[in-house]
Amino acid sequence: MKRGAAALTVCSTSFVELGRAQQKALGYPDLPIAVIPHPFGIRTRDELRRIAGQCADDIARLVCEPGSRDPAASPRRPSPAARAALIEAPDDADEINRLFFERRWCDGLPVVAPTAGRVERMLRHTRRAPEDIVATIAPGFGAATVEYIAINAVMAGCYPEYLPVLIAAAEAAATPEFHLQALQVTTNPAAVWLVINGPIARRLGVNSGGNCLGPGAWANATLGRALRLILQNIGRALPREMDRATQGQPGKYTFCCAENEAENPWEPLHVERGFAPDRSTVTVVGALGTWNMNITAKDAADVLSMIADTMAFPASSDYVYGGAPWLVLSPQHAHVLHREGLSKAEVKRRLWEQSKLLASRVPGNDFGRMQTGRRAELGEIGPDTLVPISARPEHISIIVAGGSGTHSVYVPVSAHTRSATREVMLSEQMNRDRYHEAFIAK
Amino acid sequence: MAGSTLVFDPVAPCHNEPRQSRRALDQLAGKVIGFIDNAKPNFNYLVDDLAEVLVSKYGVASVIKRRKRSASMAAPEAMVKELAEQCDAVITGSGD
Repeated sequence: MKRGAAALTVCSTSFVELGRAQQKALGYPDLPIAVIPHPFGIRTRDELRRIAGQCADDIARLVCEPGSRDPAASPRRPSPAARAALIEAPDDADEINRLFFERRWCDGLPVVAPTAGRVERMLRHTRRAPEDIVATIAPGFGAATVEYIAINAVMAGCYPEYLPVLIAAAEAAATPEFHLQALQVTTNPAAVWLVINGPIARRLGVNSGGNCLGPGAWANATLGRALRLILQNIGRALPREMDRATQGQPGKYTFCCAENEAENPWEPLHVERGFAPDRSTVTVVGALGTWNMNITAKDAADVLSMIADTMAFPASSDYVYGGAPWLVLSPQHAHVLHREGLSKAEVKRRLWEQSKLLASRVPGNDFGRMQTGRRAELGEIGPDTLVPISARPEHISIIVAGGSGTHSVYVPVSAHTRSATREVMLSEQMNRDRYHEAFIAK
Repeated sequence: MAGSTLVFDPVAPCHNEPRQSRRALDQLAGKVIGFIDNAKPNFNYLVDDLAEVLVSKYGVASVIKRRKRSASMAAPEAMVKELAEQCDAVITGSGD
């Protein structure tokens, strides 16, 4: 041997369905699974020995059992260029919603029927072909063609001109550093937050001011929702199936805002990430929630101290693995910090220093997880070790958003995920770029 | 009574082809078994206990244990390569 070793997964009962679905999506539909009782992590040593005895017998049987899959019986896969299928449905909004809900094609809220006419109107806002595959979306690895993105955008209530934002969002979500696979199947309440920068935000009316993470703006509501439908219908992360969230969070319905660039005393996010100010971008963030920080302080030191203390909580996955957390600074707090001469990079550095967590605040199993998770970076961690929230200060991301008020928001981020930014390619932008290329070529 | 209309099915198909059928061993006796510990609480103990039973009861020749940094990250390529080259069967873990 040994190339081509046999493979087997030991799965706790709550994760068997996910394991099966995942194997199928990855193209290995008949790998054996040995099942152990859930929850497994809280068992005593004696219980574990009993579980291992039974599990070893299962492994011995399963690993010698030939597969039953007949390759000829595999479901026929559509060709990569396949267009979406139209189905016949009752010509009645209530009945269509009933049908979509029964088939688990929606998020629990009513949808706009994705008729050929509506989808066609949306497709006019990109020069890409409907069958172009923009990305494959984990964990089901459905092919997100331009057309499927448009269908789900129509369902979410998006206006046709929103399509380029969602194409960029799908591209960003599928980048390896975003680690969508983990976000989609985790027990954590992981939502995908869209942050819009550049001229497109104003043009589409994406709210960056008061209540920008709340209700009231059509673009915020429907863009975030469209991405959720894409994650469900193309990625196949259905709640209580492959999406294993223990509780989830409201941000999984929709989670989208723009940066308040007019009130931002520093360079906006997309410029910080290397894009020209007149370009538009979408950034995807694997957000675990929003945590209000009500700070009336007038001094930068006090503002930073309260934010850093909020970031440093022992149940945070950031300290276990080294994270990439986000802050939404209110314009007021950003101005307090800027007024005292702090750059965005300096704010990050100070927060990184001041939010170090005393390792002994993390007890039990989680202390062990932290030792494993940070050993390569920090060496051996003892109870007195001061553990930084991220490997480097620049892994903390900051935007300025919101209206007036003394509130900033801490956004913890799911373990191992790194936000990703992609440019929104508008059809007229693409025309202009082609013109420039042609001009240079001459 | 409502008439009918046409709407798109929003579920996009997966284009991954089934890659290989499952490989089975003729027996466990004399074989090398690899474990990828997913770093979830207690999985290291399960790996130790399984290894003991597989050797004592089923005659497994040896066991190679490796640990991932965390459950949600894929095992490093070097770890996968090492186990694929040295083992007859590799066992992974999923769940809590």
